[in-house]
Amino acid sequence: MALPKKNKKNLNITPLPVQGHYPYGYSGIVTPNRREELSGLIDEHGTMLPKSVLHADLDRGMLDFVKDDLRTSVSGKKIPVIDRILTLQRWGEFSETWSFSDKDKNVSLPFVVVVRKPDVQPGSNPSLQYTIPDRRQFHYAKVPTWDGNRKGYDVYKIPQPVPVDVIYDVKIVCNRMRELNQFNKVILQKFTSRQAYTFVKGHYVPMILSSVGDESVVDTEDRRYYQQNYQFQLQGFLIDEDEFEVSPAVSRVVTLIGGEDRNSKENKAVTLKSKWEYDNLSGSTAVTKTYVTKVDLKIIRSSNIVADGYTIYINGVLVSGPLMVPKYPPAMVRPNDSVEVRIVKLVPTDPAWISFQEIVVR
Amino acid sequence: MAKKIPITRISKFFGSEDFSLEQDIGMEWLHGDMHFTMVLFRVDKKLSDIDDVYGESGQEEIRYHPPVEFNAHVEIADPQNKSYAAGLVNQMEPGNMTLNVYIKHLDELGVDISYGDYIGYPETETTMRYYVVTNDGRVTSDIKHSIGGYKAFYRTILCSFVNENEFKGI
Repeated sequence: MALPKKNKKNLNITPLPVQGHYPYGYSGIVTPNRREELSGLIDEHGTMLPKSVLHADLDRGMLDFVKDDLRTSVSGKKIPVIDRILTLQRWGEFSETWSFSDKDKNVSLPFVVVVRKPDVQPGSNPSLQYTIPDRRQFHYAKVPTWDGNRKGYDVYKIPQPVPVDVIYDVKIVCNRMRELNQFNKVILQKFTSRQAYTFVKGHYVPMILSSVGDESVVDTEDRRYYQQNYQFQLQGFLIDEDEFEVSPAVSRVVTLIGGEDRNSKENKAVTLKSKWEYDNLSGSTAVTKTYVTKVDLKIIRSSNIVADGYTIYINGVLVSGPLMVPKYPPAMVRPNDSVEVRIVKLVPTDPAWISFQEIVVR
Repeated sequence: MAKKIPITRISKFFGSEDFSLEQDIGMEWLHGDMHFTMVLFRVDKKLSDIDDVYGESGQEEIRYHPPVEFNAHVEIADPQNKSYAAGLVNQMEPGNMTLNVYIKHLDELGVDISYGDYIGYPETETTMRYYVVTNDGRVTSDIKHSIGGYKAFYRTILCSFVNENEFKGI
């Protein structure tokens, strides 16, 4: 019976993932390129360890975000941002606002100010929440060391970052609706997907827009102005350099390798060749040689020697010759043995040679 | 030079000579008879070493202009009995200080009192209390600060006590 036409006959059960860098899928062995790139940002301009990320760094990251990413201009004029987190120190306030103050030293409108809530709460970022108890140290990197004599490497360990939530109120104070609109547009566009990121010492730190509130003073008898409050929750984390641990791993490695070109099962033989030469004198029929290795001698070929016309003596004792049974047993040579090969030439006045295979015995 | 507008208010009864006379009589009484002397420590906002994020300085990082003695009418509120932790960790502090200072006096000294400056008040021969300016009274548009609405002649400066952790003199 034929298969129904709508049935797929070739179903690919291992589809390839669509990843530019890994056309055949991520192997799980090599570090992904993007992760390496991010790691490079964290380690940049410093040691192999990440730099501390503390409260002040997160605050600076938030200020930079407001200054750069929420930059707003109306009629070609930029709305100034007070580039500090204002604190209790009274005189410090004016030192940040003098550039856009009036003759009574009041801040001129419009302006944007960032106010941090002093209480920093435990983090709500789920990727960092309560996953590892205590302050256990984890491997971060192995760094090679060389002190001039010894080679080794140090193991750098860091604990899990501490998640924190920091609440910021970003307030715009202005006199015109168009300034409100513009600022509102910039923020809502930025937070279309609810979250945005600021960049703190190589880390991308997420933040979400929690609420938008209006605190405008629209009173009949008092001075009127608009004031809107955008509340952000920065889902950051704290990394403290003081908690890092650097410990020496292996300070020196001595590797001894014993080379042996065989295994015990195959017992591969190592063979050499040696050529014993005799000159053209009729009395030149014996050559002596002292061995330093243990070998078995076996004839390969010869020239100007009669058939069965050679004998081998080791230390003066006949070990291989035509009259032995069996004929020409292998001559087993030990180190420091003196081996003599005597021949019978076909033409006594011609040179002769005999070639042996030397099988090295282990 | 900025354009000057003549003040002709209540000119039938009062003029600049009268204003100067009244002011001088008052200053003679305040500075000569009362003679409440204080020391003004003005923060040098340019030379003070502030951090990049908060604009804060440590106690040793704040720089001051040379201290200046000045006279003012002084009112100090009753001491305040407070606590840090709901009845625990008692804290007894001097009350807020209100200064009334002649604008002409400040002009003669060539100084201005700004929000956040520190003022030392010699309470006894051996005790100097320090206060921080919480309202520098810069705006004197109200009639109260003038003589019959003619022109402002003094500033009211509000200060609150600071402990030695924040400021302890130079």
